[in-house]
Amino acid sequence: MTQQTDGPAATTTPEGMPTVDGASTGSGFITSTEVDRIPTLLAPTSGGGPVTAGLYFRVGAADETLATAGLTHLVEHLALHRHGVSDLHYNGSTAATHTHFVVSGTPEEVVAYLNGVCASLRDLPVERLATEREILRTEQAGRGRGPNHQLPLWRYGARGYGLASYPEYGTLHLTADAVRDWAATWFTRDNAVLWMTGDTVPEGLDLTLPAGRRQPLPAPTSALPVTPAYLTGGSGGVVLDGIVRRSTAAALFAEVLGRALFTDLRQKGGYSYTADCGYHPRDTDHATITAYADALPQKQDAVVGGFIDVLARLRAGTIDQAELDSARTKFLKQYEIPDIGAASLPSYALNMLMGHENLTPDEHRAQLAAVTVEDLRDVARELYDSALIQVPGRGVDWAGFTEAPQWSGPSFGPEPLGTVHRSRASDAVSLAVGREAVTLSTPRGRIAVRYDACAAMRVFPDGARHLIGFDAFVVEVEPTLYAKLTPDRMAPIDAAVPAAAVVPMPERDPDEIPQPAARRGGLKGRALGMLRSLRPGRG
Amino acid sequence: MSPTAPDLIRAEFDRCRQIPSLVDLRTAVRGNDWDTVQAYFDFLEDEDERAVAAGLVADLSSSERFLEHQVAAHGSPLARTLLAARYIDVGWDIRSSYTAEHVSREQFQQFHGWLRRAEQLLIGVCADEPAYALAWSYRLTTARGLELGASEARRRYDRLAEHHPHHIQAQILLLQQLCPKWGGSWEEAFGFARACLDAAPAGSHAGRLVVQVHLERWLDDSDDRPSDYLRANEVRDDVLAAADRSVRHPDYRPGFHWVGDHNDFAGALSLGGHYREAAPFFRTLGDKATEYPWAYYGDREVQFLKHRRRAMAKG
Repeated sequence: MTQQTDGPAATTTPEGMPTVDGASTGSGFITSTEVDRIPTLLAPTSGGGPVTAGLYFRVGAADETLATAGLTHLVEHLALHRHGVSDLHYNGSTAATHTHFVVSGTPEEVVAYLNGVCASLRDLPVERLATEREILRTEQAGRGRGPNHQLPLWRYGARGYGLASYPEYGTLHLTADAVRDWAATWFTRDNAVLWMTGDTVPEGLDLTLPAGRRQPLPAPTSALPVTPAYLTGGSGGVVLDGIVRRSTAAALFAEVLGRALFTDLRQKGGYSYTADCGYHPRDTDHATITAYADALPQKQDAVVGGFIDVLARLRAGTIDQAELDSARTKFLKQYEIPDIGAASLPSYALNMLMGHENLTPDEHRAQLAAVTVEDLRDVARELYDSALIQVPGRGVDWAGFTEAPQWSGPSFGPEPLGTVHRSRASDAVSLAVGREAVTLSTPRGRIAVRYDACAAMRVFPDGARHLIGFDAFVVEVEPTLYAKLTPDRMAPIDAAVPAAAVVPMPERDPDEIPQPAARRGGLKGRALGMLRSLRPGRG
Repeated sequence: MSPTAPDLIRAEFDRCRQIPSLVDLRTAVRGNDWDTVQAYFDFLEDEDERAVAAGLVADLSSSERFLEHQVAAHGSPLARTLLAARYIDVGWDIRSSYTAEHVSREQFQQFHGWLRRAEQLLIGVCADEPAYALAWSYRLTTARGLELGASEARRRYDRLAEHHPHHIQAQILLLQQLCPKWGGSWEEAFGFARACLDAAPAGSHAGRLVVQVHLERWLDDSDDRPSDYLRANEVRDDVLAAADRSVRHPDYRPGFHWVGDHNDFAGALSLGGHYREAAPFFRTLGDKATEYPWAYYGDREVQFLKHRRRAMAKG
């Protein structure tokens, strides 16, 4: 998920976009130089259009922790603060693994913008911190979330690439020191790549940044013991993602899958309005393929079935040569634009930043030509083997998918250690506050969060504590819901959870503080009411 | 189809006696002779006959190991589909013919387990051969048993009908899904049955779809004693009109479905007390009976013989 600060950023899909390597071929498409010791890529444009430039840093949301989520975004906002009222075409964006400052204008405007960004990064206007935190919280509240927004936390847990699923908790509490430290560590000249249209670097650039190092990409974590896996719920549509090795064949496959979904679910079946697929590099060697189809009313089940069948056909059945050829034709069309070198600069720069190989146009065309239907089938199998699918309604175990873990442990086994607090709504539910973990026990399963594996603890002024484990499971310790859950009984939690995981929360409305469900109705009804009020699971 | 003496003392439910060529198929399955099985299916004229033949294989308990071996050896679409059909049969036997509230949780889990195995084989066949009618047809049964929803069942039928618009077995299966007991409505069920009959060429098997909705409606109305639903003259006339467009039409080709066709008509008419009208269908059938609809209300053989005797006395 990319967080835009202002206007649309250039979207980059390196295997899909033409990527060229002037330095290695001497073809003159792209040349490399340095500006203030930042690696810099240049490519000429024909005609006297504006200069476009971008400054990438190898830092993003996946480098943060759940408790500090939003740090990079805050730095990006603070760095752009001085440009707030200009007419210049510029923006900043924060993605999982990179931050991008882009500008387009006269050489003087571009120089002023880039100089300003770097000056701010050297000395962040932290006096603006409170305001920018507020702005980010407002942005978050108003931002629509994609249909795939839950998949990262189920795949990766509450850290690294999984943080894309979460709110930016850091905007609630981050201090000036934390933001300054973050900028000094990550926004360095050694962790940046600059790209710019034109033959030469314009006069007057001052991009002085502290020395640092090129930061490695975050290692992927896992909260999915078995794949292909499924979870239920969501928007009513079907969304699937999977991890594949980055390749030209994989990028082509995503195009083929998107078209096949559109053909079967929209054109032929009329079950969906939207059906599409995207390919997004995740790190140096791997990409995420994400496929989505919405569902017209009453057609959800058919969308699930049709989706499963499209996947099955591409991995086990027949892929028509024509499907491959038409995707290939679309990719080759990208070379039919003028100034191909300049158009390729962002993806080229991003590959450089991520340590991924860049191809010359000839190499890329040769790779496109060499892809076979069999190569696509291999990608389909790789996608399926790592797939996580979210479906509305019933699960898809019938199609060979395994349910993603709903509980962190079975409902039986030795009683958890610590003080045990019965639920005020159901005798079958209890919360144990132990020396090492808090554990919620229900008839259907247990959820435990170990203090040393706590990604974030939300601390409320009314006494409640919500612990979110690295595996994304949540235990909400609500004094109103359990017997004898007094401050002294809760003290072990505060003593053991690392300070770095603490997220102080604003005061809640009295209405927002949960109250035990009334003890009436059958046991089952009470237990269900209890479970609803606890919202067990992940999230 | 020759007339038979009216005083039968037993009915013939064995499909191999009803349709003698099926004996060759049964012998081949029991003898682990895959080439003959494959050749038998290749030889059959149409998908409707293949569906009946597959039903026979699925009923044979000896087919399971044989088919598993074939799937491991060559995995042909036919072998995978027949094995799936066998798994569905095993699963459905566990579920038994009780209505849902009488099936234990454990029975349901086993039932679903067999259907999932079947479904995953069938997903593969349909991925390989999108026009493979037999596999799509069995996927209607797995969709119903696994409760995959009405729109999914309809999608599967539509994928089959793209290539095989008058596939009677699939139509019978979807019709079940459209009945209220599986979450549909009488409007949908009747609508579908009539649309199939209207769309099919004259003399098709589709007349029995109309009859089956009437039988389902009657069963649904019946409680401790049979309902009067089928006694209404409008129902009788509707059944006879369907017969005129199908089994009584000069273009009717009996194929493998004729025994089922005629049992449906004989059943709907005689269960409604229209014995005189039922008599010609019984006469055509002789002793050849099917499970459906006779097992719906008591012992299948007793019911068939009783109604046949009454019909022959009147007509």
